[in-house]
Amino acid sequence: MTPLRGFICIAALTGILAGCGNPASESGRGGASPRVFKPIDETAVLFWDRQTLETADLITRIAGEYNAQHGGLPVKVEHLGDYSDINRKLSVSIQARELPAMAVGYDSMTAEYVQAGAAVPLDEYMNDAEVGLTNEDRADFFPGVLATSTNPAFGGKTYSFPFTKSVLVMYFNKKVLRAAGIEAPPKTWDEFLAQCRLIKDKTGQFGYAVDVDCSTIDGMIYSRGGELVRGAESLFDQPASVAVFEYLETLAKEKLAFQIQPGTFDDRDEFTQGRVAFFFRTSSLRPYVAAMMAQDPDGWGIAMIPQAHLEAPATVLYGGNIGIFQTTPEQQRIAWGFIKYFTSPEVSARWALGSGYLPLRKSAADHPDMQAFFKQWEYNRAAFDCLPHARPEPNLAGWQEVRTLVERAGSQVMSGLKTGRQAAMDLKQEADRVLAAAQ
Amino acid sequence: MDGVDLRSVSAWTTGYALLAAVLVGLVAHKALLRLADRLLEAIDSAIERIRAPRTRSAVAAFLLLSPALAILGLFGVVPLVYAVRISLFDTRRDIFVGAGNYARAWGDPEFWRSLSVTLYYALGTIPLTLAISFCVAWLLHRAARGRGFLRTAYFLPYVTSAVAAATVWRVLLRPRSGFVNVMLDAIGLPMQDWLLEQRGVLHILTQGWIPPGVGPSLALCCIMAFDIWHASGFTIVIFLAGLTAIPRELMEAAVLDGAGPLQVLRRVVLPLLSPTIFFLAVVSGIRAFQSFNSFYALTNTSRGADTQNLVIYIFAQLYESQRYGYGAAVATLLCAAIVALTIIQWRYVGRRVHYE
Repeated sequence: MTPLRGFICIAALTGILAGCGNPASESGRGGASPRVFKPIDETAVLFWDRQTLETADLITRIAGEYNAQHGGLPVKVEHLGDYSDINRKLSVSIQARELPAMAVGYDSMTAEYVQAGAAVPLDEYMNDAEVGLTNEDRADFFPGVLATSTNPAFGGKTYSFPFTKSVLVMYFNKKVLRAAGIEAPPKTWDEFLAQCRLIKDKTGQFGYAVDVDCSTIDGMIYSRGGELVRGAESLFDQPASVAVFEYLETLAKEKLAFQIQPGTFDDRDEFTQGRVAFFFRTSSLRPYVAAMMAQDPDGWGIAMIPQAHLEAPATVLYGGNIGIFQTTPEQQRIAWGFIKYFTSPEVSARWALGSGYLPLRKSAADHPDMQAFFKQWEYNRAAFDCLPHARPEPNLAGWQEVRTLVERAGSQVMSGLKTGRQAAMDLKQEADRVLAAAQ
Repeated sequence: MDGVDLRSVSAWTTGYALLAAVLVGLVAHKALLRLADRLLEAIDSAIERIRAPRTRSAVAAFLLLSPALAILGLFGVVPLVYAVRISLFDTRRDIFVGAGNYARAWGDPEFWRSLSVTLYYALGTIPLTLAISFCVAWLLHRAARGRGFLRTAYFLPYVTSAVAAATVWRVLLRPRSGFVNVMLDAIGLPMQDWLLEQRGVLHILTQGWIPPGVGPSLALCCIMAFDIWHASGFTIVIFLAGLTAIPRELMEAAVLDGAGPLQVLRRVVLPLLSPTIFFLAVVSGIRAFQSFNSFYALTNTSRGADTQNLVIYIFAQLYESQRYGYGAAVATLLCAAIVALTIIQWRYVGRRVHYE
């Protein structure tokens, strides 16, 4: 049999098999039907998490404490890499019809799990008289934090719960700033640009190591008073967004900033070695930077990212939410119990202190240990003070793919492949195409 | 069973069962061998009873091939057929779309961009890998001493994990503080962004005379360089085997007839080496179209359109966008392209191969 004939045979065989039913639902072609899932592990309430090192140990300890206090199946934490890794594994699990009881993820990922019929609405647990949240509980959560969990695209239902939240902040190296004769970190984008130029002139160094990450670019757009979407339409062609890409273009052209390799922490490393003055990242990175700057604890600081309008500051609220998946009623009930325990004031404060994430509730922020921590170092409060101005990113289906496009546009500008305006306009078109297809 | 972990009991039971199976196997292996002998004899005599010689040899061939066919079928053909099958569905909505996913690929600029990256990569790596490997193999073949050591040294990158090696390359090619840039800076040359540089290498070399979007990017060239370095060990060893198989008398006869070194190479060595070259061209072609590890490990994501080949594109569709049907359609197209390319190679290039 020649290869060509073999290929034709396979194609014919496939044609015959394709008529035998739907590969996804096996319930007949042509119509969507509810999918039936079962738990991956029937002996435990499986929880897919993204934490590593000390924070992974802490979350496992908290789960152990919950298991010791509550009967039934134990919560079993599995650390599976970052949010993207968990998202990939979940998408395969959805196809295989076997799911964990809960997992962390961004809300744009949750939107896709809802579309696939795999996510459980949490409203009935939250409103339950016995195990739900009281009015006091709800009022205790910071408003912006709880708002990220409600998805207007799914009838206002809540498919995830705030879990590990942080904000986009600016890390600044005082030593590099002092070498350039700068006393205080920048508050506006104009000041930031002026300081980068000064650093280059006085020290010959780069001002800013850029991690071209979608959340960072989103935060820059928010900080200029911009919006990311209206309905299912992206707003990357709007003045605030164009200004962000043009700003990146200026930084790259004047060699004031350089791009780091994606997926690395080269910006943090360059910063701690005193080779750049600024980098923008999640506030949850603070403990790691503090450990690397242990020799010079007063040589650095954290501040709100620069703003265009100081009277209405804004930054990105990020970090993951946790969702419960279609497994068994018992597993789902225990999963909700664990979420409620994890976000209780005491545990929330302990988690915030041990991990660098923000306390999710006012009572956790008022906890004596948390207050003592705020007083320990002048910048320990910086991220928490950003919380009232922090805004979530869109949780639309398809946004996950748009994130890649945003990062690609940012890289193209930093590379000099496109101008800032051109990149923003092209991004608008591509993002709209993706969002339209995903709805 | 309060206080007893059922999972640990189950693990112990499985362990004991495996141990028991091994012990029974050790004791009973002679009996099993005898049983296998009898089975083979029975098959042999059954084949012998077939009178028509052609049918007899066909049945024997089929029986001999059946274990390999079963494995190939289970792990090669069945997944392929399943992939083609799901390519006909919108798996997000569970609906049959026929050739819809293929039509979508046809109209998707991202698909064509990924295809062009794949072609740049194939055209950049295959000829260079073959040429460099042949030169090294030729020098090694003629080396009087240390051939074994050098052959091992050249083969070493090939047996190194591609992901581990790529991670080292990533560190070496870091934008500011990477070893390569530090060296460039030390000798007064401008630092490069290497794996982040999306502008075309032709644009950089001509200092902006050629537009930045033309030709492969510098980042893609870095991936090509890595793969040439990583894969050449294998091709060198195969070339060496081919060169060793050429009878020395033929080359000596050519020299006696007055042929110079280049003529010996062109008129004797290359024609006799053509089956090896052809084999390596086919294998390298297939590998180039299937390349994934180096792209993924060096660039980490599908962020750069300039370094997104078709396999990375398929990966992004499957695992980042959850479009299994569409991803399977692109994978099927890629498979068809590889089959077509291989057929073309067999039909047109294969004819020029000189078999001794």
